[in-house]
Amino acid sequence: MGEKKYTEEHEWVQLSGDIATVGITNHAQESLGDIVFVDLPTLGKVVKAKEELCVIESVKAASDIYSPIDGEVTEINDNLSNDASIVNQDAENEGWIFKIKVSNPDQYNTLMSLDQYLEFLDK
Amino acid sequence: MTEEALKNIYLKDFHKKNDAKFVPFAGYDMPINYKKGIINEHLHVRNHTGIFDVSHMGQILIPFNEENILALETYIPLNIKKIISNKCHYSFILNSNGGIVDDIMISKIKFDNNEFLYIVYNSSRKQILNKIFNATISNFKIFEDRCLIAIQGPESFSSINSILNLPASMNFLNIQILQYDDSDLFISRSGYTGEDGFEISISNNKAEKLISDILNNNNVILCGLGCRDSLRVEAGLSLYGNEINEDINPIQAGLSWALDKNRLQDQNLNGSEILSKELSSIPSVKKIGLSPINKIMLRNQMTIHNNNKEEIGFITSGCYSPILKKSIGIGYINKLSNISEKKYVNVRDKYEEIKLEKIPFVKKNYKKGD
Repeated sequence: MGEKKYTEEHEWVQLSGDIATVGITNHAQESLGDIVFVDLPTLGKVVKAKEELCVIESVKAASDIYSPIDGEVTEINDNLSNDASIVNQDAENEGWIFKIKVSNPDQYNTLMSLDQYLEFLDK
Repeated sequence: MTEEALKNIYLKDFHKKNDAKFVPFAGYDMPINYKKGIINEHLHVRNHTGIFDVSHMGQILIPFNEENILALETYIPLNIKKIISNKCHYSFILNSNGGIVDDIMISKIKFDNNEFLYIVYNSSRKQILNKIFNATISNFKIFEDRCLIAIQGPESFSSINSILNLPASMNFLNIQILQYDDSDLFISRSGYTGEDGFEISISNNKAEKLISDILNNNNVILCGLGCRDSLRVEAGLSLYGNEINEDINPIQAGLSWALDKNRLQDQNLNGSEILSKELSSIPSVKKIGLSPINKIMLRNQMTIHNNNKEEIGFITSGCYSPILKKSIGIGYINKLSNISEKKYVNVRDKYEEIKLEKIPFVKKNYKKGD
């Protein structure tokens, strides 16, 4: 498993082979508050980086989740359809949202490291 | 338009110390929730009791005299002359078309041996109402030096009775003046969550002590405006700016029960002619409760559609109901729309089926007299 990378849209990405696992960061779940539904993406969907892919509904608001990377959706976290609060409880592990077969691995290296993300949050 | 600076409520630092998250609301920087989060706070109010600081709301004390009564009766649809002491009434400030300038709680109380009308009104309407009050009534006092604290939930009575020694006669919508720490507080058995509870108007400098005293009960927690909203939607209560505004009258909004029908014959009441006509015909819009079939969220301003996808209405309040564990909403549909026909809401350009629900969504739990 590769090092976790982060986006300015507050997503985390972890690469294993050519499969990227994606979720929202702990900081994101904290500021969203209680998450009640996750509108998961469609399997097989082909996306470009920064394209809207699915929606997280918290008690307060709906938030778009963007694909951090080009590729095809190969897996979604079905557990979240029964209990979206998993994202609140464990955003960066059990609360993963979808997996993407990466078509452009170079993009991964352009994402932020943890230190860079923390610095970004401080701004 | 220039953005006006957010105002702070008196106890802002106290809430900060208690880990409140803040959002701008009606011109004030207000606690939306604390550490436990909106859903837990909501459930705590339904099962135990919560404290809300609603000091952003307007409070005014008006001498109960003939000139003031006459002026107030031109825009408040109540028989104010005959208003019963120590009882709160839910009412409105009406414009000349009978539209709702604000919804208010009004009561008559005796204070320093004089009779006064005490009105609580929405913070989002302060500017407009203060202008109306300035133009029409005299010798009133707008309270900037008092907080308004709501205690809501089935354990409200027990959590404050030991501190305030409440009169046994104090039922729903009763209001009293009690002493606390050498200061007068106005306490009414009321609130906006559908639960039993109290609203307490108290001098700024005593408010933190009172809240801390009440929080000494293990079953009481601080709650923010986030759950206050989902609680009032579950209880089917209207919010100014959502269900009601200047373009909708109390009858259209399903609130005709709050009108003194005799006053609708009075030419001096704003919009009386329009309102009495509206009362004898079918209102042009119908207020409905709704919930989605699928796991989606209903939100304010989503459009409602019929089977042919024609727009027949809109949602005025949508939220997640922690009690029903699904999204619920309140909205208006055209009076001609077929109630039994399938209905949809437009969620990000997808039509999602909804079903009608009874308002209130949960049973109200007020302490009525025997």
